[in-house]
Amino acid sequence: MAEDLVLDGAIRDWVLIPLSVVMVLIGVLRYFVSKLMRSSQLPDAKILKEGQVIIRARNLRAAANFIPAKSFRARRAYYSNEENGLLHVPKGQTQNAQAQMFSDPNMAMDMMKKNLSMIIPQTLTFAWVNFFFSGFVAAKIPFPLTQRFRSMLQNGIDLSTVDVSYVSSRSWYFLNLFGLRGLFSLILGEENATDDTARMMQMGGFGFDPSKSLSAEKDSLDIVQHEWALPKFEQRAEAVLKKFVS
Amino acid sequence: MVGAAEEKELKRLETQVENGGGGAWDYLCLVRKLKGRCSHNVLKFGLPILKDPNTRSKLGSDEWTLYEQVAIAAMDCQQLDVAKDCLKSLRKKFPESTRVARLECMLLEAKGSWAEAENAYARLLEDNPLDQAIHKRKVAIAKAQGNISSAIECLNKYLEIFMADHDAWRELADIYVSLQMYKQAAFCYEELILSQPTVPLYHLAYAEASGLFIVGLVLYTLGGLENLQMAKKYYASTIDLTGGKNTRALFGICLCSVAIGQLTKGRNKDEKEASELPSLAAAALMKEYKERAPDKLPLLSSTMKSMKLIS
Repeated sequence: MAEDLVLDGAIRDWVLIPLSVVMVLIGVLRYFVSKLMRSSQLPDAKILKEGQVIIRARNLRAAANFIPAKSFRARRAYYSNEENGLLHVPKGQTQNAQAQMFSDPNMAMDMMKKNLSMIIPQTLTFAWVNFFFSGFVAAKIPFPLTQRFRSMLQNGIDLSTVDVSYVSSRSWYFLNLFGLRGLFSLILGEENATDDTARMMQMGGFGFDPSKSLSAEKDSLDIVQHEWALPKFEQRAEAVLKKFVS
Repeated sequence: MVGAAEEKELKRLETQVENGGGGAWDYLCLVRKLKGRCSHNVLKFGLPILKDPNTRSKLGSDEWTLYEQVAIAAMDCQQLDVAKDCLKSLRKKFPESTRVARLECMLLEAKGSWAEAENAYARLLEDNPLDQAIHKRKVAIAKAQGNISSAIECLNKYLEIFMADHDAWRELADIYVSLQMYKQAAFCYEELILSQPTVPLYHLAYAEASGLFIVGLVLYTLGGLENLQMAKKYYASTIDLTGGKNTRALFGICLCSVAIGQLTKGRNKDEKEASELPSLAAAALMKEYKERAPDKLPLLSSTMKSMKLIS
């Protein structure tokens, strides 16, 4: 019965297209606003150094067999001795990341800025779409879909009889919100700031604690068995040369 | 480190551009990617692109990268006017950029006004104390002035923070070798081997550093023997990694085994390793010389004979 639901051309001209255009414009605007608000934060020397220590210790662990035992032992002691080893974290200093976050107003400020630039325009546009365009069936996708897609495509229409391939205006808004990323990377360049999902990932990794990875690295360095690989190389070199000479 | 295939490609592009076949931009991109130092060519090929507004505008935003590249090449060739012009256009486009400020400091360096350059770098460091490039420039200034000890100091300070930077380790190793401080150099090479265990050149250099350290300082001690054996092992690994193509490593094996033989002479015969490696290395050397430099072959064979490596 809902097979031939005829959509007015005016809906296309006044709902579908304006909605998409507005979404694109808002995305562009948000990009520039966040660019303005972004403060270039200088990396902290201590954090930087800890990262470098971890890389170096990881190298040591991976390639330990390529250096003589004496050198390896010296390095391991340098990294993991209990007094002043680079990977050793004194007990009192294991600062809670959460506490550190709150003690540093800059950090909290940054987070708030990020949040604001993401949430405010989204709430505003959502309210705007809800107010003006609620209840429209705005578009029809050219292929049939199963019932499960109803909540995705017909948000805001409480009719179970309408075919699922019709898209309500509010769902069109959501589709645009998440689907325009490719378009943005075309307009704004590859690393544009409007990538919501990436930002959410970033927020998740925010409470990263370097001292934890330091001590983890120390533990794994402590259990490395050093077995010098070079004696084997002499035989291998012999084999190589035999092949080369003959 | 430039791979053989990439170097070939570079050469091919160079001849192509020189014969008027185009591809100058590709050449410049490749040079940039490989971090090669072909300043004359960069200047020769890059400058015409920049001078012609038509080709320049075709590059889009890469134009500014090219300006930077040509400016540095011009400084390297002591064509300071060209560098100055490039910097002027860059400054106009990016009035507050640290990167341009760094280039301006490099221009001061190229002029030889070291004190001014150093002051300018110090000012830049105040804004951003963790700028790696500026720290490296400071080392370069110290080295250019012949002030090796201060270069070492700077590098050590830099490596205290950026300790995973293997290029800096390599530079430090080179400096130590030039000062014949082989023990320190050996440490740096160990660090390099750790970060890139498959680069044969590091094994070679490490073998040389630890071998030379011994030959130069404490020959005829027990410690010397241990280190010589170690050096021999690293030469062997170089041979393995290069497939026997490294002449230097082959010679190293020969020398080490002769030195070890001298040290262990008169000692317990059982300790002597029954290894074919030195004679094989000698044979490989003979083969190599026969192919590439037949006129030097008698020289080599007499040397090898005196080492008793070939009969």
